[in-house]
Amino acid sequence: MGELLQNIVKKSPWIYRINAGSCNGCDVEMATTALIPRYDVERLGCRYCGSPKHADIVLISGPVTAVVKDKVLRVYDEIPNPKVVVAVGICPISGGVFRESYSIASQLDTYIPVDVNVPGCPPRPQAIIDGIAMAIEIWRKKF
Amino acid sequence: MNIAEFFVNVFIFPGGLFAIMLGLLLTGLDRKIYARLQRRVGPPIYQPWLDVVKLSLKEMVIPKTANYTVFRLAPLLGFAGMLAAIAVIPVAGIYSGLYQSGDLLVVLYLLSAPALALAIGAAASGSPYSSIGLSREISIMLAYEIPMLIVFLTVGMRVGMELGGTAIFSLSSIVNFQLSQGSLLLDLPMLPAFLAFLICIPGILGVVPFDIPEAETEITEGPLLEYSGSGLAMFKLTGGLKMLVLSALTVALFFPMGLGSFWLVNLLWFIFKCVVIMFFTTTLIRAMQARMRIEQAYKFYLLVPTALALISFVLTAMSFRI
Repeated sequence: MGELLQNIVKKSPWIYRINAGSCNGCDVEMATTALIPRYDVERLGCRYCGSPKHADIVLISGPVTAVVKDKVLRVYDEIPNPKVVVAVGICPISGGVFRESYSIASQLDTYIPVDVNVPGCPPRPQAIIDGIAMAIEIWRKKF
Repeated sequence: MNIAEFFVNVFIFPGGLFAIMLGLLLTGLDRKIYARLQRRVGPPIYQPWLDVVKLSLKEMVIPKTANYTVFRLAPLLGFAGMLAAIAVIPVAGIYSGLYQSGDLLVVLYLLSAPALALAIGAAASGSPYSSIGLSREISIMLAYEIPMLIVFLTVGMRVGMELGGTAIFSLSSIVNFQLSQGSLLLDLPMLPAFLAFLICIPGILGVVPFDIPEAETEITEGPLLEYSGSGLAMFKLTGGLKMLVLSALTVALFFPMGLGSFWLVNLLWFIFKCVVIMFFTTTLIRAMQARMRIEQAYKFYLLVPTALALISFVLTAMSFRI
Protein backbone atom coordinates (compact mmCIF):
# COMPACT_ATOMS: atom_id res chain seq x y z
CA MET A 1 0.00 0.00 0.00
CA GLY A 2 1.05 3.61 -0.54
CA GLU A 3 3.64 5.44 1.49
CA LEU A 4 1.06 8.07 2.45
CA LEU A 5 -1.31 5.55 4.00
CA GLN A 6 1.57 3.96 5.90
CA ASN A 7 2.48 7.36 7.29
CA ILE A 8 -1.12 7.97 8.36
CA VAL A 9 -1.50 4.53 9.90
CA LYS A 10 1.78 4.81 11.79
CA LYS A 11 0.33 7.62 13.93
CA SER A 12 -2.56 5.60 15.31
CA PRO A 13 -1.33 2.41 17.00
CA TRP A 14 -3.68 1.12 19.68
CA ILE A 15 -2.18 -0.86 22.51
CA TYR A 16 -3.53 -3.90 24.31
CA ARG A 17 -2.01 -5.51 27.37
CA ILE A 18 -1.96 -9.23 28.08
CA ASN A 19 -0.89 -10.33 31.52
CA ALA A 20 0.58 -13.82 31.10
CA GLY A 21 1.04 -14.50 34.81
CA SER A 22 3.00 -11.36 35.56
CA CYS A 23 3.74 -10.23 39.13
CA ASN A 24 2.10 -6.86 38.22
CA GLY A 25 5.41 -4.96 38.32
CA CYS A 26 5.61 -4.55 34.54
CA ASP A 27 1.89 -3.76 34.39
CA VAL A 28 2.37 -0.88 36.80
CA GLU A 29 5.18 0.45 34.63
CA MET A 30 2.97 0.13 31.53
CA ALA A 31 0.17 2.03 33.26
CA THR A 32 2.78 4.68 34.06
CA THR A 33 3.46 5.25 30.37
CA ALA A 34 -0.22 5.95 29.83
CA LEU A 35 -1.24 7.88 32.90
CA ILE A 36 1.69 9.98 34.05
CA PRO A 37 2.15 13.30 32.19
CA ARG A 38 5.89 12.87 31.96
CA TYR A 39 5.75 9.61 29.96
CA ASP A 40 2.48 10.27 28.08
CA VAL A 41 2.23 7.62 25.37
CA GLU A 42 -0.91 9.19 23.87
CA ARG A 43 1.26 11.82 22.16
CA LEU A 44 2.39 9.05 19.77
CA GLY A 45 -1.29 8.53 18.93
CA CYS A 46 -1.49 5.41 21.09
CA ARG A 47 -4.50 4.44 23.12
CA TYR A 48 -4.77 1.64 25.64
CA CYS A 49 -7.89 -0.22 24.59
CA GLY A 50 -10.00 -2.66 26.56
CA SER A 51 -10.82 -5.11 23.79
CA PRO A 52 -8.33 -7.29 21.89
CA LYS A 53 -10.44 -6.71 18.76
CA HIS A 54 -9.38 -3.03 18.70
CA ALA A 55 -5.66 -3.62 19.21
CA ASP A 56 -2.66 -3.15 16.92
CA ILE A 57 0.27 -3.56 19.30
CA VAL A 58 0.16 -6.21 22.02
CA LEU A 59 2.25 -5.80 25.15
CA ILE A 60 2.69 -9.15 26.88
CA SER A 61 4.14 -9.29 30.39
CA GLY A 62 4.85 -12.18 32.70
CA PRO A 63 6.36 -15.66 32.32
CA VAL A 64 3.88 -17.72 30.33
CA THR A 65 2.47 -19.98 33.05
CA ALA A 66 1.11 -23.40 32.18
CA VAL A 67 -2.43 -22.40 33.15
CA VAL A 68 -2.54 -19.12 31.23
CA LYS A 69 -0.79 -20.29 28.04
CA ASP A 70 -3.90 -21.39 26.11
CA LYS A 71 -5.77 -18.24 27.10
CA VAL A 72 -2.94 -16.03 25.90
CA LEU A 73 -2.93 -17.86 22.55
CA ARG A 74 -6.72 -17.48 22.28
CA VAL A 75 -6.65 -13.74 22.96
CA TYR A 76 -3.72 -13.36 20.55
CA ASP A 77 -5.72 -15.04 17.79
CA GLU A 78 -8.62 -12.63 18.34
CA ILE A 79 -6.49 -9.59 17.49
CA PRO A 80 -7.14 -8.51 13.89
CA ASN A 81 -4.20 -8.41 11.47
CA PRO A 82 -1.79 -6.65 11.04
CA LYS A 83 -0.49 -6.90 14.61
CA VAL A 84 2.84 -6.64 16.43
CA VAL A 85 3.92 -8.24 19.71
CA VAL A 86 6.14 -6.60 22.33
CA ALA A 87 7.42 -8.74 25.19
CA VAL A 88 7.70 -6.48 28.24
CA GLY A 89 10.00 -7.48 31.11
CA ILE A 90 12.48 -10.30 31.38
CA CYS A 91 9.86 -12.95 32.19
CA PRO A 92 8.31 -13.46 28.71
CA ILE A 93 11.80 -13.33 27.17
CA SER A 94 13.58 -15.94 29.27
CA GLY A 95 11.41 -16.78 32.28
CA GLY A 96 13.30 -14.41 34.56
CA VAL A 97 13.36 -15.43 38.20
CA PHE A 98 10.70 -18.07 37.49
CA ARG A 99 12.84 -19.75 34.83
CA GLU A 100 13.14 -23.29 36.17
CA SER A 101 9.72 -23.37 37.85
CA TYR A 102 7.38 -26.34 37.38
CA SER A 103 4.47 -24.01 36.63
CA ILE A 104 6.05 -22.16 33.69
CA ALA A 105 5.21 -23.36 30.16
CA SER A 106 8.10 -21.95 28.13
CA GLN A 107 9.41 -18.67 26.71
CA LEU A 108 6.83 -16.58 24.85
CA ASP A 109 8.51 -16.82 21.45
CA THR A 110 8.06 -20.59 21.32
CA TYR A 111 4.30 -19.93 20.92
CA ILE A 112 3.91 -16.44 19.41
CA PRO A 113 6.16 -14.51 16.99
CA VAL A 114 7.66 -11.76 19.19
CA ASP A 115 8.74 -8.60 17.32
CA VAL A 116 10.32 -6.49 20.08
CA ASN A 117 11.88 -7.49 23.40
CA VAL A 118 11.98 -4.96 26.24
CA PRO A 119 14.06 -6.59 29.01
CA GLY A 120 14.10 -5.36 32.60
CA CYS A 121 12.59 -6.31 35.93
CA PRO A 122 10.57 -4.18 35.53
CA PRO A 123 11.74 -2.14 32.51
CA ARG A 124 11.75 1.64 32.88
CA PRO A 125 8.85 3.55 31.27
CA GLN A 126 11.31 5.11 28.80
CA ALA A 127 12.35 1.63 27.70
CA ILE A 128 8.72 0.58 27.21
CA ILE A 129 8.00 3.69 25.13
CA ASP A 130 11.14 3.00 23.09
CA GLY A 131 9.93 -0.56 22.55
CA ILE A 132 6.54 0.74 21.42
CA ALA A 133 8.24 3.15 19.00
CA MET A 134 10.23 0.25 17.51
CA ALA A 135 7.06 -1.83 17.30
CA ILE A 136 5.30 1.01 15.42
CA GLU A 137 8.04 0.96 12.75
CA ILE A 138 7.67 -2.81 12.31
CA TRP A 139 3.87 -2.60 12.33
CA ARG A 140 3.78 0.17 9.70
CA LYS A 141 5.61 -2.02 7.18
CA LYS A 142 2.95 -4.71 7.50
CA PHE A 143 0.26 -2.57 5.83
CA MET B 1 -37.22 21.66 -2.81
CA ASN B 2 -35.40 20.12 -5.73
CA ILE B 3 -33.49 16.85 -5.61
CA ALA B 4 -30.00 18.35 -6.11
CA GLU B 5 -30.43 20.68 -3.16
CA PHE B 6 -31.64 17.77 -1.04
CA PHE B 7 -28.58 15.69 -1.87
CA VAL B 8 -26.21 18.58 -1.19
CA ASN B 9 -27.88 19.17 2.18
CA VAL B 10 -27.75 15.56 3.23
CA PHE B 11 -24.37 14.47 1.81
CA ILE B 12 -22.13 17.55 1.61
CA PHE B 13 -23.25 20.54 3.68
CA PRO B 14 -24.30 20.62 6.52
CA GLY B 15 -24.93 16.86 6.64
CA GLY B 16 -22.48 14.28 5.31
CA LEU B 17 -18.97 15.42 4.57
CA PHE B 18 -18.99 18.71 6.48
CA ALA B 19 -20.67 17.18 9.53
CA ILE B 20 -18.19 14.29 9.64
CA MET B 21 -15.25 16.70 9.43
CA LEU B 22 -16.66 18.95 12.15
CA GLY B 23 -17.62 15.98 14.34
CA LEU B 24 -14.11 14.54 14.14
CA LEU B 25 -12.66 18.00 14.83
CA LEU B 26 -14.77 18.20 18.01
CA THR B 27 -13.59 14.73 19.08
CA GLY B 28 -9.97 15.68 18.43
CA LEU B 29 -10.27 18.94 20.36
CA ASP B 30 -11.92 17.04 23.20
CA ARG B 31 -9.02 14.58 23.43
CA LYS B 32 -6.40 17.34 23.18
CA ILE B 33 -7.99 19.57 25.82
CA TYR B 34 -8.55 16.55 28.08
CA ALA B 35 -4.84 15.70 27.85
CA ARG B 36 -3.83 19.30 28.52
CA LEU B 37 -6.09 19.39 31.60
CA GLN B 38 -4.07 16.45 32.92
CA ARG B 39 -0.82 18.25 31.99
CA ARG B 40 -0.07 15.70 29.28
CA VAL B 41 1.03 16.56 25.75
CA GLY B 42 -1.83 14.56 24.27
CA PRO B 43 -2.53 13.43 20.72
CA PRO B 44 -2.64 15.93 17.84
CA ILE B 45 -6.04 17.50 17.05
CA TYR B 46 -6.27 15.53 13.77
CA GLN B 47 -5.89 12.19 15.64
CA PRO B 48 -9.53 10.99 15.07
CA TRP B 49 -9.03 11.19 11.28
CA LEU B 50 -5.91 9.02 11.58
CA ASP B 51 -7.79 6.55 13.79
CA VAL B 52 -10.66 6.25 11.32
CA VAL B 53 -8.27 5.71 8.37
CA LYS B 54 -6.35 3.08 10.28
CA LEU B 55 -9.46 1.25 11.46
CA SER B 56 -10.90 1.11 7.96
CA LEU B 57 -7.64 -0.44 6.69
CA LYS B 58 -7.63 -3.18 9.32
CA GLU B 59 -9.12 -6.64 9.20
CA MET B 60 -12.71 -6.96 10.47
CA VAL B 61 -13.07 -9.98 12.70
CA ILE B 62 -16.60 -11.39 12.90
CA PRO B 63 -17.20 -13.75 15.81
CA LYS B 64 -18.55 -17.23 15.16
CA THR B 65 -21.50 -16.58 17.48
CA ALA B 66 -22.56 -13.39 15.68
CA ASN B 67 -25.48 -12.91 13.33
CA TYR B 68 -23.51 -11.75 10.28
CA THR B 69 -26.03 -9.45 8.57
CA VAL B 70 -27.26 -7.66 11.68
CA PHE B 71 -23.72 -7.37 13.04
CA ARG B 72 -22.50 -5.67 9.83
CA LEU B 73 -25.56 -3.42 9.38
CA ALA B 74 -25.95 -2.12 12.98
CA PRO B 75 -23.15 0.51 12.76
CA LEU B 76 -24.79 1.93 9.63
CA LEU B 77 -28.08 2.46 11.49
CA GLY B 78 -26.59 4.85 14.04
CA PHE B 79 -24.50 6.63 11.42
CA ALA B 80 -27.48 7.17 9.12
CA GLY B 81 -29.63 8.40 12.03
CA MET B 82 -27.05 11.02 12.98
CA LEU B 83 -26.60 12.18 9.36
CA ALA B 84 -30.36 12.63 9.08
CA ALA B 85 -30.48 14.50 12.40
CA ILE B 86 -27.79 17.00 11.40
CA ALA B 87 -29.60 17.70 8.12
CA VAL B 88 -32.79 18.60 10.02
CA ILE B 89 -31.28 21.01 12.58
CA PRO B 90 -31.15 24.62 11.31
CA VAL B 91 -28.13 26.86 11.92
CA ALA B 92 -29.00 30.56 12.06
CA GLY B 93 -27.60 32.57 9.18
CA ILE B 94 -26.24 29.52 7.32
CA TYR B 95 -28.80 26.81 6.89
CA SER B 96 -32.54 26.67 7.43
CA GLY B 97 -33.14 22.95 7.99
CA LEU B 98 -34.49 20.31 5.66
CA TYR B 99 -38.14 20.35 6.73
CA GLN B 100 -40.25 23.21 8.00
CA SER B 101 -42.47 21.52 10.59
CA GLY B 102 -42.29 18.90 13.31
CA ASP B 103 -38.49 18.62 13.34
CA LEU B 104 -37.92 18.59 17.11
CA LEU B 105 -39.80 15.31 17.56
CA VAL B 106 -37.97 13.83 14.57
CA VAL B 107 -34.67 14.79 16.22
CA LEU B 108 -35.81 13.15 19.47
CA TYR B 109 -36.38 9.87 17.60
CA LEU B 110 -33.19 10.17 15.57
CA LEU B 111 -31.14 10.83 18.72
CA SER B 112 -32.00 7.36 20.00
CA ALA B 113 -30.67 5.77 16.77
CA PRO B 114 -26.99 5.50 17.88
CA ALA B 115 -27.92 3.96 21.23
CA LEU B 116 -30.24 1.50 19.49
CA ALA B 117 -27.55 0.73 16.92
CA LEU B 118 -25.13 -0.06 19.75
CA ALA B 119 -27.76 -2.25 21.42
CA ILE B 120 -28.62 -4.12 18.21
CA GLY B 121 -24.94 -4.64 17.35
CA ALA B 122 -24.26 -5.86 20.89
CA ALA B 123 -27.18 -8.28 20.78
CA ALA B 124 -26.05 -9.61 17.39
CA SER B 125 -22.44 -10.13 18.48
CA GLY B 126 -23.34 -12.88 20.97
CA SER B 127 -20.78 -11.86 23.58
CA PRO B 128 -21.78 -11.88 27.29
CA TYR B 129 -19.88 -8.63 27.95
CA SER B 130 -21.75 -6.99 25.09
CA SER B 131 -25.08 -8.08 26.50
CA ILE B 132 -24.25 -6.53 29.89
CA GLY B 133 -23.34 -3.35 28.00
CA LEU B 134 -26.59 -3.59 26.06
CA SER B 135 -28.75 -3.74 29.18
CA ARG B 136 -26.87 -0.79 30.69
CA GLU B 137 -27.15 1.21 27.46
CA ILE B 138 -30.93 0.73 27.34
CA SER B 139 -31.48 1.56 31.01
CA ILE B 140 -29.44 4.77 30.87
CA MET B 141 -31.27 5.69 27.66
CA LEU B 142 -34.63 5.32 29.42
CA ALA B 143 -33.33 7.58 32.20
CA TYR B 144 -32.05 10.47 30.06
CA GLU B 145 -34.90 10.48 27.56
CA ILE B 146 -37.43 11.60 30.19
CA PRO B 147 -35.75 14.92 31.11
CA MET B 148 -34.86 15.48 27.45
CA LEU B 149 -38.49 15.07 26.42
CA ILE B 150 -39.63 17.51 29.13
CA VAL B 151 -37.05 20.06 27.96
CA PHE B 152 -38.31 19.75 24.38
CA LEU B 153 -41.91 20.12 25.59
CA THR B 154 -40.99 23.23 27.58
CA VAL B 155 -39.24 24.89 24.66
CA GLY B 156 -42.08 23.98 22.30
CA MET B 157 -44.70 25.27 24.73
CA ARG B 158 -42.85 28.52 25.41
CA VAL B 159 -42.45 29.35 21.73
CA GLY B 160 -45.93 28.15 20.82
CA MET B 161 -47.67 30.16 23.56
CA GLU B 162 -45.70 33.28 22.70
CA LEU B 163 -46.79 32.98 19.08
CA GLY B 164 -50.37 32.52 20.29
CA GLY B 165 -51.43 28.93 19.91
CA THR B 166 -50.50 25.44 20.96
CA ALA B 167 -46.99 24.09 21.37
CA ILE B 168 -44.75 24.39 18.31
CA PHE B 169 -42.14 21.71 17.65
CA SER B 170 -40.80 23.12 14.40
CA LEU B 171 -37.09 23.83 14.86
CA SER B 172 -37.07 26.54 12.21
CA SER B 173 -39.95 28.36 13.99
CA ILE B 174 -38.10 28.05 17.31
CA VAL B 175 -34.92 29.52 15.77
CA ASN B 176 -36.81 32.29 13.95
CA PHE B 177 -38.71 33.15 17.13
CA GLN B 178 -35.45 33.55 19.04
CA LEU B 179 -33.87 35.60 16.25
CA SER B 180 -36.69 38.11 16.54
CA GLN B 181 -37.48 37.98 20.31
CA GLY B 182 -34.11 37.28 21.94
CA SER B 183 -32.62 33.96 22.89
CA LEU B 184 -34.38 31.62 25.33
CA LEU B 185 -31.21 31.36 27.42
CA LEU B 186 -31.72 34.92 28.71
CA ASP B 187 -35.23 34.01 29.84
CA LEU B 188 -35.18 33.16 33.57
CA PRO B 189 -37.82 30.34 33.60
CA MET B 190 -35.93 28.59 30.77
CA LEU B 191 -32.63 28.47 32.65
CA PRO B 192 -33.33 25.18 34.55
CA ALA B 193 -34.37 23.52 31.28
CA PHE B 194 -31.11 24.64 29.70
CA LEU B 195 -29.13 23.14 32.60
CA ALA B 196 -31.15 19.92 32.40
CA PHE B 197 -30.37 19.60 28.70
CA LEU B 198 -26.66 20.19 29.32
CA ILE B 199 -26.71 17.46 32.00
CA CYS B 200 -28.29 15.03 29.51
CA ILE B 201 -25.48 15.51 26.95
CA PRO B 202 -22.72 13.40 28.62
CA GLY B 203 -25.24 10.61 29.15
CA ILE B 204 -26.22 10.55 25.49
CA LEU B 205 -22.58 10.70 24.41
CA GLY B 206 -21.64 7.97 26.87
CA VAL B 207 -18.57 9.69 28.33
CA VAL B 208 -17.24 9.54 31.90
CA PRO B 209 -19.08 9.70 34.42
CA PHE B 210 -21.83 8.08 32.32
CA ASP B 211 -19.74 5.72 30.19
CA ILE B 212 -21.18 2.80 32.14
CA PRO B 213 -22.32 0.86 29.02
CA GLU B 214 -18.78 1.00 27.59
CA ALA B 215 -16.78 0.80 30.81
CA GLU B 216 -13.52 -0.52 29.39
CA THR B 217 -12.03 -1.49 32.74
CA GLU B 218 -14.93 -3.68 33.87
CA ILE B 219 -16.80 -4.95 30.79
CA THR B 220 -14.06 -4.21 28.21
CA GLU B 221 -15.94 -1.62 26.11
CA GLY B 222 -19.27 -3.50 26.29
CA PRO B 223 -21.23 -3.25 23.03
CA LEU B 224 -18.09 -2.25 21.08
CA LEU B 225 -16.15 -5.28 22.32
CA GLU B 226 -16.61 -7.49 19.24
CA TYR B 227 -16.34 -4.70 16.68
CA SER B 228 -13.10 -4.20 14.80
CA GLY B 229 -11.95 -2.61 11.56
CA SER B 230 -14.52 -0.71 9.51
CA GLY B 231 -17.41 -1.44 11.89
CA LEU B 232 -15.56 0.20 14.75
CA ALA B 233 -14.56 3.10 12.45
CA MET B 234 -18.26 3.62 11.73
CA PHE B 235 -19.03 3.78 15.47
CA LYS B 236 -16.20 6.30 15.97
CA LEU B 237 -17.66 8.49 13.19
CA THR B 238 -21.10 8.18 14.80
CA GLY B 239 -19.61 9.31 18.12
CA GLY B 240 -18.20 12.47 16.55
CA LEU B 241 -21.47 13.17 14.74
CA LYS B 242 -23.42 12.65 17.96
CA MET B 243 -21.33 15.30 19.67
CA LEU B 244 -21.98 17.68 16.79
CA VAL B 245 -25.73 16.98 16.68
CA LEU B 246 -26.11 17.61 20.41
CA SER B 247 -24.12 20.86 20.33
CA ALA B 248 -26.01 22.04 17.25
CA LEU B 249 -29.31 21.18 18.93
CA THR B 250 -28.37 23.09 22.10
CA VAL B 251 -27.39 26.08 19.98
CA ALA B 252 -30.64 25.91 17.99
CA LEU B 253 -32.84 25.53 21.08
CA PHE B 254 -31.26 28.10 23.39
CA PHE B 255 -28.96 30.62 21.66
CA PRO B 256 -29.09 30.46 17.86
CA MET B 257 -27.98 34.09 17.27
CA GLY B 258 -25.59 34.62 14.39
CA LEU B 259 -23.07 37.44 14.05
CA GLY B 260 -24.01 39.74 11.20
CA SER B 261 -25.06 38.40 7.83
CA PHE B 262 -21.82 37.09 6.30
CA TRP B 263 -22.04 33.27 6.20
CA LEU B 264 -18.37 32.54 7.02
CA VAL B 265 -18.49 34.60 10.21
CA ASN B 266 -21.71 32.84 11.17
CA LEU B 267 -20.17 29.46 10.50
CA LEU B 268 -17.07 30.17 12.61
CA TRP B 269 -19.28 31.55 15.38
CA PHE B 270 -21.39 28.37 15.26
CA ILE B 271 -18.28 26.17 15.47
CA PHE B 272 -17.04 28.26 18.39
CA LYS B 273 -20.34 27.77 20.23
CA CYS B 274 -20.19 24.02 19.57
CA VAL B 275 -16.66 23.86 21.01
CA VAL B 276 -17.69 25.80 24.12
CA ILE B 277 -20.66 23.50 24.74
CA MET B 278 -18.47 20.44 24.18
CA PHE B 279 -15.84 21.76 26.59
CA PHE B 280 -18.28 22.32 29.44
CA THR B 281 -20.45 19.23 28.98
CA THR B 282 -17.88 16.64 27.94
CA THR B 283 -14.23 17.49 28.42
CA LEU B 284 -14.35 19.27 31.76
CA ILE B 285 -16.72 16.76 33.38
CA ARG B 286 -14.71 13.85 31.94
CA ALA B 287 -11.50 15.21 33.43
CA MET B 288 -13.03 15.83 36.87
CA GLN B 289 -15.28 12.85 37.52
CA ALA B 290 -14.95 9.11 38.01
CA ARG B 291 -17.38 6.60 36.53
CA MET B 292 -20.72 6.12 38.31
CA ARG B 293 -22.44 2.80 38.83
CA ILE B 294 -25.47 2.15 36.66
CA GLU B 295 -28.04 2.58 39.44
CA GLN B 296 -26.39 5.83 40.55
CA ALA B 297 -26.55 7.21 37.03
CA TYR B 298 -30.15 6.04 36.62
CA LYS B 299 -31.22 7.68 39.90
CA PHE B 300 -29.26 10.83 39.07
CA TYR B 301 -30.98 11.28 35.70
CA LEU B 302 -34.42 10.61 37.13
CA LEU B 303 -33.84 13.10 39.97
CA VAL B 304 -31.70 16.08 39.03
CA PRO B 305 -32.31 16.91 35.35
CA THR B 306 -35.92 15.77 35.52
CA ALA B 307 -36.54 18.06 38.51
CA LEU B 308 -34.82 20.99 36.76
CA ALA B 309 -36.79 20.42 33.57
CA LEU B 310 -40.06 20.13 35.51
CA ILE B 311 -39.36 23.41 37.37
CA SER B 312 -38.87 25.09 34.04
CA PHE B 313 -42.00 23.46 32.62
CA VAL B 314 -44.19 24.59 35.54
CA LEU B 315 -42.77 28.14 35.59
CA THR B 316 -43.33 28.50 31.85
CA ALA B 317 -46.85 27.11 32.07
CA MET B 318 -47.72 29.44 34.99
CA SER B 319 -46.42 32.53 33.23
CA PHE B 320 -48.96 31.98 30.46
CA ARG B 321 -52.03 31.14 32.54
CA ILE B 322 -52.58 34.65 33.80
